[in-house]
Amino acid sequence: MDRKRGRMEIISDMLAIVQSKQGGIKPTHLMYKANLSHKQMKLYLDELRTKGLIGEVEEKDGKRFVATEQGRDFFFQYRRVREFEKTFGL
Amino acid sequence: MVKIVFTPDWFLGKDILIEFFSFVVLLIFSILSIKGYRLKKNKSLLGLGIGFGLIALAKLSSVFTKLVLYYDSAPVQAVGQAIMTSQVFSSLDIFYYAGFFFYSFLTLMGFFVIYKIPHKKVYGGDYVLILYFIVISSILSKDLFYLFHLTAFLFLVLIVVNYLKIYQKNGFENTLMLIIAFSILALSQLIYILSKVGMFFALSNIMELISYTILLFLIIRIIKHG
Repeated sequence: MDRKRGRMEIISDMLAIVQSKQGGIKPTHLMYKANLSHKQMKLYLDELRTKGLIGEVEEKDGKRFVATEQGRDFFFQYRRVREFEKTFGL
Repeated sequence: MVKIVFTPDWFLGKDILIEFFSFVVLLIFSILSIKGYRLKKNKSLLGLGIGFGLIALAKLSSVFTKLVLYYDSAPVQAVGQAIMTSQVFSSLDIFYYAGFFFYSFLTLMGFFVIYKIPHKKVYGGDYVLILYFIVISSILSKDLFYLFHLTAFLFLVLIVVNYLKIYQKNGFENTLMLIIAFSILALSQLIYILSKVGMFFALSNIMELISYTILLFLIIRIIKHG
């Protein structure tokens, strides 16, 4: 898996990770699971938040990210398009 | 002037339903591709959307032409097997030929667009040449009806070869479904050549129906798994 991921792929991966965690995910966990540097993570998180794809919840042990309804919709739409592209070899 | 439509009388109307069903399936594919393009900005998806859209338009053109031909002229229904209309229906003739031209032209263009998607390097001159041959083939198909089906068969075989190469790489079940659907569609074009015999006309239509049904199942799979 040494292929470089594109912007959309990284966003989709992050959304997949965030929504797989029901109670939300801590920023550091997201960073490791999404295989991102701190700088990249900040950049993508800003974009996801601006577009309303993820939200933040404050827990006793710190901040957690959760997928919004819009984020879930986007993720499923993206997966559908990937499936479509794979079918046609695009 | 005598004009012949090969639809057997017992199949009149059913062929329109099959074409309408094909139109709906093609339209869904076109919409899904264009929606995908808007999300990912992948130009190949746009190409696919245009390709399927062109064939969907062709089907719509055929449906309208047949509707007018079958239900707006009484002699058509009366004669059935070999539908003959006289000079009186010259405006109907023009409508029929225009409809058939658009059907042939849009179908062949659509198949060409779908075929060329995996081939990144296509030169401007190639497009002009292909466009020229498609127009010629569509015009000549008025008198040599089999020419259109033969050209469509050729494009479909090339499309199947493309998807076979893709399947060899990805081994994806959906691609296999695509290969099966396009292979049946290609075969149906060969059988259309024999459509002067009513049974073969119906058989080719049924094969087209099977092909588009497989494509519909493919859409459902993509939506379900995606």
